[in-house]
Amino acid sequence: MNAQELDEAYTRLCYALTDAGESRTPMILARLALLLMQEVGDAARIGRAIDAALAEPPRA
Amino acid sequence: METTFSEYFPYVHHAASRPATVRDGADGRRHPVVVAGGGPTGLALALGLSIHGVPVVVLEADDTVCSGSRAGAFTRRTFEILERLGIVGQVMADGLGWRTGWTYWRDREVFRFDMPHDENQKYPPAISHLQNWIEQLMVEEAGRRGDIDIRWQSRVAGLAQDSAGVRLEVASPAGDYALQADWVVACDGGRSTVRGLLGLPMTGMRYEGRYVIIDVRMDTEGLPAGRRCWFDPPSKPGGTLLMYKKPNGMVRFDYQLNEEDDEALEMQPERVFAQVDAHLRMLGLARKWEPVWMSLYRASALTLERYLHGRVLFAGDAAHLVPIFGVRGMNSAVDDAHNLAWKLAYVARGLAQPALLETYSAERVYAARENHRYAMKGAEFMAPPSRPFRLMRDAVLSLAERHPALAQLANPRQHSAIPLAASPLNAFPERSAGFAAGPAPGWILPECPLRHAGRDTHLTSLLGPHFTAFWFGEADAAPRIETPLPLEVVAIPPAEDVTGRLYPLYGAVPGTLYLVRPDGHVLARWRQAAPAEIAAALARARAPAPATA
Ligand SMILES: Cc1cc2nc3c(=O)[nH]c(=O)nc-3n(C[C@H](O)[C@H](O)[C@H](O)COP(=O)(O)OP(=O)(O)OC[C@H]3O[C@@H](n4cnc5c(N)ncnc54)[C@H](O)[C@@H]3O)c2cc1C
Repeated sequence: MNAQELDEAYTRLCYALTDAGESRTPMILARLALLLMQEVGDAARIGRAIDAALAEPPRA
Repeated sequence: METTFSEYFPYVHHAASRPATVRDGADGRRHPVVVAGGGPTGLALALGLSIHGVPVVVLEADDTVCSGSRAGAFTRRTFEILERLGIVGQVMADGLGWRTGWTYWRDREVFRFDMPHDENQKYPPAISHLQNWIEQLMVEEAGRRGDIDIRWQSRVAGLAQDSAGVRLEVASPAGDYALQADWVVACDGGRSTVRGLLGLPMTGMRYEGRYVIIDVRMDTEGLPAGRRCWFDPPSKPGGTLLMYKKPNGMVRFDYQLNEEDDEALEMQPERVFAQVDAHLRMLGLARKWEPVWMSLYRASALTLERYLHGRVLFAGDAAHLVPIFGVRGMNSAVDDAHNLAWKLAYVARGLAQPALLETYSAERVYAARENHRYAMKGAEFMAPPSRPFRLMRDAVLSLAERHPALAQLANPRQHSAIPLAASPLNAFPERSAGFAAGPAPGWILPECPLRHAGRDTHLTSLLGPHFTAFWFGEADAAPRIETPLPLEVVAIPPAEDVTGRLYPLYGAVPGTLYLVRPDGHVLARWRQAAPAEIAAALARARAPAPATA
């Protein structure tokens, strides 16, 4: 996946979530996370991604 | 909170008994073992002790078996144990075997699981039955054995012990009395009097899930046997509901109460009946039904830290409580009794040191914690403890139909025997390492048909109330083993492996030997039998090193 493809996937998800609305967003993200876990298929990589997602974001 | 609308079958109500040996308020006979509580744990233990040659007194507060059915689903391991107790034929005659679970989300089936089953098995992986009927069969079998003295309407009210024995105070309408025992086993249930008298705390999670359980009588023609589970069904929006077909024209429903639900209100019969009606309507089952029993079940995952306290042992619900999911309550209780019966019998008969009882505690505390781990996983899925848990659970359900790999997350993880991988009894692990297949020390025996001594049978049918050495080879070449413990050497020549599956299943070659405990767990195994080591493993079982913990 190159930068352009990443950007497209990212933008598509943002638009799709906006269309779906805020109330449906958590469920869609939860489904996406489960499906991506399946795609990745590697417990250690999934674990690292969960850790990274949980890490406190730097304050703006 | 329990209501019995009609009896499942005509209960036998027993008179309060006061033994002839009681004089001046004391039982003049000293008993090797007294069991406090005649529920499934106490009755299974009494049968086991009797089979191992130890007479037993059972003190039961009530005058009959439990009024509600409570446990309804039993697993293969439990049936292997009931076979050892001599009642499996009668139990099977009325049980409904099953292997399939259906999961519905809203109004759609999204997932179906089959419990492990294959052509080697003697029993189905799960059976729907009635706890009280199994108790009744145990009571009848106890009567036939002759050395089990069940004293009904006899409540343990006091206890004192020293290093030599235990003194119990028994309260009975026929007159109170005291009684002396070498060993007492507390099988007196979740609200154990004995636990209270010793002031022993249980630890773990008091997970406050509450479930309404109701058994109804109706025409069950055409209903599948198995576990059917609905998440968020039109009949109970936002809730979870389970339905099981039971034997003798009955159906069980159980569903969770929400945190804010008022117990007293929700347990009003009209309320529960309306829920049953709504669900039957949803299924298009416009059949007449009548209620039999309903009750409220609380989910906890609690255990004592040790099951041996001086000369008092704990088993079943008195020792540990498990959440409802995964049917571990009575199944694990019967497993406790089976683990303890031979150990206590051998100690009582002077064949083994009391340290053997420490291994009961270590093994079954470990099993209780494993059961908790599995049951909590099931409970978290069935009854999500937080909003994010619920979100992820619903995400799984919404994907389960199209993505079977994710549907595995919805598997209810039903009870099965807990492998005792770290048991202090396991011997010669380095010998076990050389096997390509088969049960390691601490595991139970995988089932397999064979033709033994001219009869078609199964491997676990060859077990008995003794250690068993399965010798894979010709009978005349079997090793001779010197031990004071009850031991039978069972030779299985290659010709008896009529399916050709037994030897490979056990990683066996001619000369292989599996040494199996009286409760069916492997003690040790050798690719090539080493008689001196076999004797050493048995000697260690007679006098295990005292626990360090
Ligand atoms: C309402 C309810 C629903 C349940 N549903 C399920 C289910 O669906 N599936 C499942 O697997 N498990 C279920 N269980 C759990 C299952 O019933 C228990 O795990 C099982 O009964 C444990 O057996 P036990 O012999 O250890 O204890 P109990 O069955 O409680 O038996 C204890 C016995 O001791 C007697 N006793 C109590 N105090 C004294 C005393 N001081 N002196 C003498 N005797 C005494 C009692 O009268 C009773 O007969 C349920 C339990 C309850 C309470």
